[in-house]
Amino acid sequence: MHFDPTLFAQQLINGLSLGGIYALIALGYTMVYGIIELINFAHGDVYTLGTFFSLAILTLLGVTGVVTGPMLIVVVAVTILGAMILCGLTGVIIERLAYRRLRNAPKLAPLITAIGMSFILENLMLYWKGPSPIPFPAVIPNPEFTLGAVTIQAKQVMVILLAIVLMVVLQAFVYNTKLGKAMRATAQDKDAAQLMGININTTIALTFLIGSALAGAAGFVSGVYYGSTWFFNGFGAGLKAFTAAVLGGIGNLAGAMLGGFLIGLIEAMTTQFIGDQWSNVVVFSVLVIVLIFRPSGLLGEALPNKV
Amino acid sequence: MALLEIDNLVARYGRITALEGISLTVEEGEIVTLIGANGAGKTTTLRAISGLVRPASGAIHFAGRDISRLAPNEIVRAGISHSPEGRHVFPRMTVRENLELGAYTRTSKAEIAEDTARVLEIFPRLGERFEQKAGTMSGGEQQMLAIARAMMSRPRVLLLDEPSLGLSPKLVQTIFAVIRDINARGTTILLIEQNARQALAVAARGYVLEVGTIVHSGPAADLAASEAVRAAYLGGAA
Repeated sequence: MHFDPTLFAQQLINGLSLGGIYALIALGYTMVYGIIELINFAHGDVYTLGTFFSLAILTLLGVTGVVTGPMLIVVVAVTILGAMILCGLTGVIIERLAYRRLRNAPKLAPLITAIGMSFILENLMLYWKGPSPIPFPAVIPNPEFTLGAVTIQAKQVMVILLAIVLMVVLQAFVYNTKLGKAMRATAQDKDAAQLMGININTTIALTFLIGSALAGAAGFVSGVYYGSTWFFNGFGAGLKAFTAAVLGGIGNLAGAMLGGFLIGLIEAMTTQFIGDQWSNVVVFSVLVIVLIFRPSGLLGEALPNKV
Repeated sequence: MALLEIDNLVARYGRITALEGISLTVEEGEIVTLIGANGAGKTTTLRAISGLVRPASGAIHFAGRDISRLAPNEIVRAGISHSPEGRHVFPRMTVRENLELGAYTRTSKAEIAEDTARVLEIFPRLGERFEQKAGTMSGGEQQMLAIARAMMSRPRVLLLDEPSLGLSPKLVQTIFAVIRDINARGTTILLIEQNARQALAVAARGYVLEVGTIVHSGPAADLAASEAVRAAYLGGAA
């Protein structure tokens, strides 16, 4: 095997767009873990639901292929926002029905419940659309730009930009608003947060709303990017995104983003230079190696929680 | 009518009864202390008042209103602030952010700024550490922050749980001076202390808790002079 810089640059673009999707999903894992220390296994399925909801909205709008002109902006905005709202509400309902009652139960109880929630969502989607792959309309025109020998597709630019924009908005919300501060306080110390007058039920619900809405956005993007989906899509992607969150430092927003892009890159590079069948091996090996040397992840803080 | 009135309060953790029907009152403007050994139920009493522990039975009236079924955030809004045992500052937030969260229920920026200035005047050290993460500060500094943060909601009643625990003797003196000062400025205080001698010196009245029951109560000076209290909590010797 010989190293080809053009192929490397090409896979850089492919990896970053793949990573953008992982990053958006990883944010939801890391936010929920940060606030209630739960690995929300149902999150990957909420992402798939995002694709399903997007498809339903596009069908309602009568969109079956590429949209052009000003209508494109309307269709994309309506579909993304619709998928974000519907997924956000799904997340809130899941928390309300399944996790809230178990907040003070031993950690294993909500964890098993999350796995159960994942099965429920998968089977609902199986019932809704059947077991076969479902085609997803292209929606956006996809002109290719060439940069030297490297080809960049418009939809790749869209994925990367959307991931970065949503991340910036999220950071601004969490660090610069009163509600964001309440979320961070709840994540750091629930009793103390309540003593400040914060309603932690509201902030936890808000966390699920935002995390699931981001998965909804990722769901739309992935439909456009891959051109198809199926009910079980969220299992693998969810696992990778969760890995991304751990790699970056679970509970840390920037870490989830970094981890997502890294995993996308590692996957693309492995596929190109080592072989498709090795991508999972390499991804998880990197995870293990990073955790051996930095157990709290790349950007995880080592500051003590309790003094 | 007393500002804070606890009537026959029972609290349980699972099958364990932590409070077996205690009654106490705190008058407006008073410092009242609750002393007793570890596990006597002092912390549970404060947690029940601030809503972190739901009472099994009994009533808690604050300014004439039953607050025993309210959520903690509603109780803060009603005017009770709680500086919990173990400080519980937000470790990954700065002193400034911790104080801002203390004022979470309030909206007037001008009043919040005024109160921030006031707590920084009481605790100049917090001004020096203003942009430092709370988790990186010393125990004494964290304790000051916990008290300052509790004052930021401008409470009518301040609940202080072991404010002197683990502090150097010099800092203990500072904290008790601050407690007097806060009270002199008009805040009613219910104080829990291991350091019974100091607590009785600063308080007007006191209650002694033993395994979930109040066994003595009265003016702080009387309690400090009582043989039973001295033997059990003041180290016996005069």
